[in-house]
Amino acid sequence: MSSEHTETTAPVENAEVIEALGRRYAAGFVTDIETDYLPPGLNEDIVRALSARKGEPEWMTEWRLKAYRHWLTMPTPDWAKLNVPAVDYQAISYYAAPKQAPKSLDEVDPKLLETYEKLGVPLHERAKLAGVAVDAVFDSVSVGTTFRKELAAAGVIFCSISEAIREYPELVQQYLGSVVPVGDNYFAALNSAVFSDGSFVFVPKGVRCPMELSTYFRINAMNTGQFERTLIICEDDAHVSYLEGCTAPQRDENQLHAAVVELVALERATIKYSTVQNWYPGDENGVGGIYNFVTKRGDCRGHDSKISWTQVETGSAITWKYPSCVLRGDRSVGEFYSVALTHHHQQADTGTKMIHLGRDTKSKIVSKGISAGKSSNSYRGLVKVEKGAENARNYTQCDSLLIGKQCGAHTFPYMEVKNPSAIVEHEATTSKISDDQLFYCRARGIGEEDAVSMIVDGFCKQVFRELPMEFAVEAKKLLEVSLEGAVG
Amino acid sequence: MSQAAAPVPFVEAQREAALPVSGIAWLDAARRDNLDAFLAAGLPDTRVEAFKYTALRALGQRRYAVGDAAAATLAIDAAALALPGVDGPRLVFVNGVLRADLSSLDALPAGLSLQPLSQALATDAEPLRFALARAYREAGDAFVQLNAAFAAEGVVLRVAAGAQIEVPVHLCFVGAASEGDAMWHLRQVIELGEGASLSLAEHHLGHGEHAHLGTVVTDISLGERAKLQHVILQSAAEASTLVRRTGVQLRAGAHATLHALELGGALSRHELQADVAGDGARLETRGAFVLHGRQHADTQMLVRHTARNSSSEALWRGVADGRARGVFRGAIYVAPGADGTDASLSNKNLLLSANAEIDTKPELEIHADEVKAAHGATVGQLDPRALFYLRSRGIPEAQARAMLTAAFCRAVLDDLPNEALREHLSDLVARHLPQA
Repeated sequence: MSSEHTETTAPVENAEVIEALGRRYAAGFVTDIETDYLPPGLNEDIVRALSARKGEPEWMTEWRLKAYRHWLTMPTPDWAKLNVPAVDYQAISYYAAPKQAPKSLDEVDPKLLETYEKLGVPLHERAKLAGVAVDAVFDSVSVGTTFRKELAAAGVIFCSISEAIREYPELVQQYLGSVVPVGDNYFAALNSAVFSDGSFVFVPKGVRCPMELSTYFRINAMNTGQFERTLIICEDDAHVSYLEGCTAPQRDENQLHAAVVELVALERATIKYSTVQNWYPGDENGVGGIYNFVTKRGDCRGHDSKISWTQVETGSAITWKYPSCVLRGDRSVGEFYSVALTHHHQQADTGTKMIHLGRDTKSKIVSKGISAGKSSNSYRGLVKVEKGAENARNYTQCDSLLIGKQCGAHTFPYMEVKNPSAIVEHEATTSKISDDQLFYCRARGIGEEDAVSMIVDGFCKQVFRELPMEFAVEAKKLLEVSLEGAVG
Repeated sequence: MSQAAAPVPFVEAQREAALPVSGIAWLDAARRDNLDAFLAAGLPDTRVEAFKYTALRALGQRRYAVGDAAAATLAIDAAALALPGVDGPRLVFVNGVLRADLSSLDALPAGLSLQPLSQALATDAEPLRFALARAYREAGDAFVQLNAAFAAEGVVLRVAAGAQIEVPVHLCFVGAASEGDAMWHLRQVIELGEGASLSLAEHHLGHGEHAHLGTVVTDISLGERAKLQHVILQSAAEASTLVRRTGVQLRAGAHATLHALELGGALSRHELQADVAGDGARLETRGAFVLHGRQHADTQMLVRHTARNSSSEALWRGVADGRARGVFRGAIYVAPGADGTDASLSNKNLLLSANAEIDTKPELEIHADEVKAAHGATVGQLDPRALFYLRSRGIPEAQARAMLTAAFCRAVLDDLPNEALREHLSDLVARHLPQA
């Protein structure tokens, strides 16, 4: 394993040693050991220790502390249509090697394995997804390294954010927090104070990134824990497509994920960001599951730039996520394509914000919500056209599909328009799978579950089209798996 | 939810104002209670969702005299109150004071009972207890709390079961220029018995320039299969503030149609809360605001479907010119078990000036699955192709724009059956638009 990978992956290999190290150094915070625990709790010392542990420069420590101090002054947001149990921020360890990992696939929840089976995840990847502590080198490691070489040749920087803070401090300093300021919102402030790791992508002028980038392939981004920080910068005329997450459910015992993603697109740059989120949603009784509180924002800083978000959200017990675009440059374009599926007791409050500042800016929102079981699924969006945004154009379409009597589907779009040349359109519908459609399929010998997944697939087509091909296929399978037991 | 009472003059003025005393224990207790709630919370700021786009800072700095002693004798020309097509019984209030001299209550049709609130309370208060003893506690209830505390006058209108009232009833609320700025509050209770039908015109208008604050809280209940045609024309004085809350409750098979035009006022707000609570009930709402200058109009509509096979249809338009700001919230709520609900909402807006603003928020909250629910909202300009069509036929651009804008608004009046009233309202809208 190459040295730059050690930081986050090393501990996986020997959980006991790490635990011992953690105990030994728990009180002092002076150790330079790269990976171990910090005791649970959150205060300035913890933030400093975390920063020191990561070998960060002074400015970074100060940046974190500023965020932490601001966080202290903020109330927990309660405006979303979510029922969020109180989170005890003092009970969380903010710098932790992965929790006790199962030692072999035998220890992994059989249901999880069953799901992998259905999704057709390759055997060796199943173990990794399930978080099994293995030190065998999978194909993807070597794949990851080949990718790195090719990327470096193109001039693209793709590394962990910790690495970037050390290796490219001037870039990080210039852009980090410039899209999502430290005090932007409660969870962003928390993330800024304690983020553990994440990805950094820099595509220089005129470069078209030779391949789709993905955290999936970047081994050192695994187990980055609860507070991920991603920063993607595309210089003039550059282009990148970034895939986040994986299509199979990840075993993860962390209760709270508060990630921040910042995208910066300069003149004529294009960033395409695709997410398939399938964190543990809790069981059918609503026990357990991840709280996914994510701030994602892209800044179309340059003229003619474009940022496109595509998300397929099927996991997490609670999702609170609004990938946004600030359309600052003239003629810049923002897009948001989303499929959000909730089942059992899952809750999702997700949507987007399109802030039109530049002239001739365009945005398009396509959101498909599917609720089943006893879940609650809300679209919440803002389209704002500021005074200077001449000829701004927005089109929003939000459709909700209800499967079952006890679920809820909600739409809360905000439209604020201050320019008379703008055209802003919003359309939303809510319905269930019609009996006619089902009957048609059944009459042709298609089983009820297959019919439902066919109809759901058709309902989501507009969004799946935007996903890279192999992701689209898996996303489709994922919906099928997630909807199991929803009908009949 | 509620914040600490802000030391704003407006709130202080309420503290000092004497509550009306009715001698009816439950009513006086409810008044006290609602005033206390208002004083505790103060005026909502824009962090309260219901007031996100309507800032009350400027209003909070003002002081109003409670009521207007001179209103009983102010000279008002009765002819100015007339509405074409509305020639039935009339009740007129000037600055919150009942004006018997301008009203006409003789020859009420059989089955219609129309009384001033003060009189209804004096004769038999008990039937009004349910409406008037309410405690308002929501974050956006500030003006309703004030109204509940101070309103001692208003309208009690009842239609007996099965009675078909053919002539439209005219309820007139005049804000008239007088010494200083006054604050007045009126309360309406309107009940339609089983199978009854009524046509109603609620008319807010200004007389001379003034900057009064008026609040009107209305509770309307429709018995089974009752039918209501309700037209609201709001052309209050340019500098005045008018806040209304209208609650409509529909029982099984009831059918209510509401047309609302918001033309006047510096700050006008209408909170329309409908409970479609009976199986097969239907609610149709149509409305438009046409704003210019520094006007601010805010319509907050919430339609709740809680029964089976009920339907609602909403069609709202907005035009903002000058430095005006138009706010619309249209929420549709479908309760668990409200199967067969068919709800739709359309809200279209035109922005005519670089300094005007439109904020719109259509909402759907759906908890049942046998449901059809849809909404659409747009903000934009006139269709350039329509403009081109008219211009290609020799119509000057300004005139073509005026025609199209008028047609845009008139859509909400199209299905108003009272032809004389429809024409009058269309004319008013056309005159209110930027001139060709």
